[in-house]
This record gives sequence, C-alpha cells and structure tokens, in this order.
Amino acid sequence: MTRFLMGAAALAVLAALPQCALAQDAMATRGKAVSMVLLPKFLGILPFDQAHKGAEEAAKELQNPTPLQFLGPTPQNSVAGQIEIVTNATTQGVKAIMISNNSGDQIVPAAKAAQAKGIKVVTWDSPIPSSEGEDVFVAQVDFSEIGKVMADMTLDLAGPGGGKFAILSASPDAANQNAWIAAMKTALKDPKYAKLDLVDTVYGNDESEKSYTQAQALVDKYPDLKVIMSPTSVGIVAGAKALQDEKLCDKVKISGLGLPSEMLAYTKNGCAPEFALWSFIDLGYLAYYTTYLLAADALKAEEGAKFKAGRMGEYTITKDPTRAKGLRILMGPFTIYNKDNVEAAAK
Amino acid sequence: MSAVGTLKSWEAMMLALLVAIIAFNSVGSPYFLSVGNFVNLFQLSIEKSIVALTMALVIIGGEIDLSVASVMGLAACVMAWTFHAGVPMPAAILAALGAGILAGLNNAFWIARVGLPSLAVTLAGLIGYRGVARILLEDRAIGGFPDWFNTIGQQALIGPLTAAIAIFFVLFIFFAIVLHGSAFGRLVYVVGSNAQAARYSGVRVGLVKAALFVGSAFVAALAGILYAARLGSVRGDMAEGFELDVITAVLLGGVSIFGGKGNLVGVGLALLVILNLRNGMGLADITGNTQNYVIGGLLILSVLIPNMWQELTNKWRGRET
Repeated sequence: MTRFLMGAAALAVLAALPQCALAQDAMATRGKAVSMVLLPKFLGILPFDQAHKGAEEAAKELQNPTPLQFLGPTPQNSVAGQIEIVTNATTQGVKAIMISNNSGDQIVPAAKAAQAKGIKVVTWDSPIPSSEGEDVFVAQVDFSEIGKVMADMTLDLAGPGGGKFAILSASPDAANQNAWIAAMKTALKDPKYAKLDLVDTVYGNDESEKSYTQAQALVDKYPDLKVIMSPTSVGIVAGAKALQDEKLCDKVKISGLGLPSEMLAYTKNGCAPEFALWSFIDLGYLAYYTTYLLAADALKAEEGAKFKAGRMGEYTITKDPTRAKGLRILMGPFTIYNKDNVEAAAK
Repeated sequence: MSAVGTLKSWEAMMLALLVAIIAFNSVGSPYFLSVGNFVNLFQLSIEKSIVALTMALVIIGGEIDLSVASVMGLAACVMAWTFHAGVPMPAAILAALGAGILAGLNNAFWIARVGLPSLAVTLAGLIGYRGVARILLEDRAIGGFPDWFNTIGQQALIGPLTAAIAIFFVLFIFFAIVLHGSAFGRLVYVVGSNAQAARYSGVRVGLVKAALFVGSAFVAALAGILYAARLGSVRGDMAEGFELDVITAVLLGGVSIFGGKGNLVGVGLALLVILNLRNGMGLADITGNTQNYVIGGLLILSVLIPNMWQELTNKWRGRET
C-alpha cells in the first residue's frame, strides 16, 4: 500500500513537472481527461460526420478518457444554435471547444466568454474572421494553392500535347469557386501549361440537372474538348454522369473537386481518372490533436510552436496570411484521388 | 367550466410543468442552479422573449405578425449600415427604430385600412423586410460598434442582469398593465373575440389593429438592436426564423390562435418553460433536432389538451343534464 502511495505521489510529481521539454511529443501527454466539444456548422451532412470520425480516431489514440461531445445546431438555426452551444459548454466548464464557425464575428462574444473561463477555442474548416476569441485556426488547405492543383490535373489528363479544356463551376457569384478559378488562371500563366487552352467557363449553379446539361452543351459546342474542370462537388459528379451517358469518356475527361464516395464509379470507369479534395477525416483528426495538446498545456498557441499530430506528422503554428490577425495551422496539401486510393477513401 | 377557470387551470398546468422541468434540470446537471446559468438562459433568447410580449397582444387581438423576425433583422441592418456610413451610433439606433415604425405602419396600412388578412400581409413583410436587410448588407458582416453599445448587449448592468433582461421585465409589466388594466387592453380582447360585433358597437377596430402592428414592429426593432449589441456584429440573415419560436411561446402560453383569449402571465410562464427546457437539454448535451422535437411536441400537446379538455367537459355536462 505504501509503495502504491509512493508510486502515485511520484506520478503526481511527474505530471506536475513543466511540460515544455515534452511539448513536441503528443504521446507524452496521452491519457489526460480533457472534456472537449466538436461543433460543426450544423448537423446532418457528410463532411462534418467525417470530421467527427477523424476526431474520434485522434481521441482514441490520445486515450482521452472523457468522451468527445459532437454537438451541432440545425441548419436553419445555425448562428443562434452555435452561440447557444458555446455558451452552454462554457457553463459546463469544458476544457476546449472546436468550432467550424458559421456565425462570422457574431460568435465572438460567446467565444471570448469561453476563453475568459480558461477554455481553449480552436476553429477548423471555417475561422472567426476577426480571429477574436480564437486561439488558433486549423485550416484545410491554402486556397491559393488550389489553382496550381487544378492546372496540374488538367495537364495530366490532357496529356503532354495539351489541348482545349473548359470550366464547369457552381454559380457565377460563388465566392469560393471564383477565387479558385482566378487562382487557376494565374497558375496557367506558367509556361509549363502553355499548351492548355481554356475555351469556356459555364455555371451549373450547384444543381445536378443544370450541371449535367451544361456539361452536355460543352461537349457539343467543342468537339475537340479534352478536359472539363469542375471545382465543385456537385458539378463534377453531374458532369461525369453526362460524359458517361454520352459515352464520351474515351475522348473527354472530367476532374476537379469531388467527394470520393460520390466519384468512386466514375474514377473506376475512367470518366474522372483523378480529382482532388482535402480529407475531412484528417481535418477532424488534426483539429482534435491540436486542441487536446493546447488544453493539456502541452502546446502554446503562439507563432512558431511545433507539435506532432500522430499519423499526420509535424505541424507548425504560423501567422494566418488570409486574415489581418490570427494564427493558423495549415493541414494541406490536397489529396489527389485516383483509381489507386479512391476506394479506400470512399468508405 | 368557465373560460376564466380554463385559463387558471392552464396556468396551473404551465406552473406545474415549469416546476417539474426545473426539478429535473437541477438533479440532471450540477451547473443548472447557478446565477450565471439563469442569466445565460434568459440572455440566449431574450430578444425572442421581448418580441413574444407584443406578439401575445397581436394574437389576442385576433391577428398575427409573421414579419417580426424580419423587422428585427431590418432594424439591425439599418443600424449597422447607417453607422458604417459614418452616422453616430445614437442616430443610427434612432434610424433603426424609425425603420421598425415604418415597417409597422406599412403592415398596419394593408391590414387595418385596406382590410387584407394579416397572415398574408405580414408574410409579405417577412419576405420583403428581409430582402431590404439583405440588400443593405449583402454578404458582409458589419461590426466594430462603439464599446458602450457592445457593453449594453454583453455585460451585466443591474446586479447580474443585462440591459436586455431588464428591458424585458419593464416591458412585461408595461404590457401587462396595458392589456389587463387599460381601456385599450379591453378593446384588444373585444376586437379579438369578434371584430364585427366590436365594429357595430362603435369600436374603432382599425385603430386598435394599427396600434398593435406598429407596437409589434417597434418592439421587434428594439429587440433587433439588442440582438446586434449582444452579438457585436450584424449580418443580413440575423434573427431569421425567430418568428416561429416567438409564436410557439405565445401559443404555449395559452393564448388562443383565434384571438380574444389568453393573458401575459401564461405567456411569461410558457417562456420560462421553454427557456428552462432548452437550457436543461443544452446542459445535457442534447441539441439540434432533438430540442426541436421536444418543443414541437410540447406545442402540439398545448393545442390538443385544451380542445380535448373542452370536449370531455362538454360530454360530462351532456351526461349531467
């Protein structure tokens, strides 16, 4: 008994030791009870469920005995619901909240109140614009990088000889897609892509039917079209189906941003041999690792701090170049899916 | 059983429900019984609670105002937009209240003057006022309000109470006196029970209705400003969908959707029931759709039980005579 007590005392002393020396190794802080809340924009869509899955995987690895709370509002009540969940989590005195922010800066007072009680507030997927009330943002990819990825995939599919390609986007005023297309046009200036010829940009409004007919119209209008590039998960599926139905997949390929589970069949039958996306599972995993280490005082949210996030390797906290203030951890890069890895990712 | 008796038993039922919920929450969560949590519980829905007071008057008056949430959004957006354009904050707040009054006058004109049903007019308002709010702010969020403004929304002002909570209590007392202690209040009941009869007996029905809709929109605008102060920034979609929560609270409070029946005590109790229920579920990590199911179920029961009760008592009487 005495020996047991002494052992326990020794353990307590060890636990109380300054942890800076161990800061880089997450495994050293395994097993701490840290109550954490994962808060998506809203419940009920696949990417957030995947992020939840990734976070649970990290929770298991880190052996956190306190179960992860996956709480979210309904889509109709997203802003008020997110604020309510953050406030209630603060009342409960959780250790950390991970937010995919859908409330703009309106979440700031609630997030600040949480921080005032010593709760770590980490954003993922979507940050707090002013970065007030936020410790660090776990970003999926650098949006400017997507232009290069899109250009590379187009060149890949068109072949070394290049050729004509067209863009099938979401709606004409979709901010994300417009930024990505602009980034792609910038990337295309590189002489490496000189043989690629962007002939048209059409919009399917992220509606399956409209995207389908727009893809059909493209192949009718440009008989020698080689690639359709669709930076939206709705457009790429509808476009792939259009090419398949028109039996054109030998001549024209489609690529862009898509969900592996929706693209599986088209990747295997050669209509969409490769496409890209970031993994929401990895995003949830990385967000959990980051937040756990912050809440366990094994990591400080400051520029230059490094840490190891399990299977995903080492990351560094940097200034966020996309916001005036704020810190960022950049997950990146894109995952390029093809026939070799799409099946595993679709599960 | 008399109408008064039914009402009393309704409030007794709400009170019993409230006690049960509070008891359940206290046992269920160690965080429930604290001053901070009670302030949060009010504060998280305080704007809806404020608007529910005037909504009760409108529904007792035999009408409905579906445009309240859009007026909240409109007022907040007008305030943010004018402030952003360089106007001092107090003037921007006055502009927002003015926008609320204009929206109310617009509703009142079509309902009280032209005689269109309030359901249709305020549904148009719901869409139209939201449209203006969205046009003003587009996809932007406007924040950076003066510190005193954010303090009003976010800090305790009187003891642990925030300004919005204090305003709620003041308005509650004010509207209780208006509804239950003034000549206007009696007219609201008369108009709500039978507008036709009221008109024949010389009541200026149009004026009563106009007052209700302007009052409703003015209070909604005030609530919108308080909401902006609480969140510290404004977007075009602010308060979207709040009208249903507000109407839910009023109906659960025993106010008849057909007008002429109900009182503010019942509405106050219903607000407490909903707030405590939401808070308790939140602290028990029940969110999203499950919360909606429970509160929706409660509303259905609140409509069913009085009707079934009525039918039962009718049958009972039929047997007696």
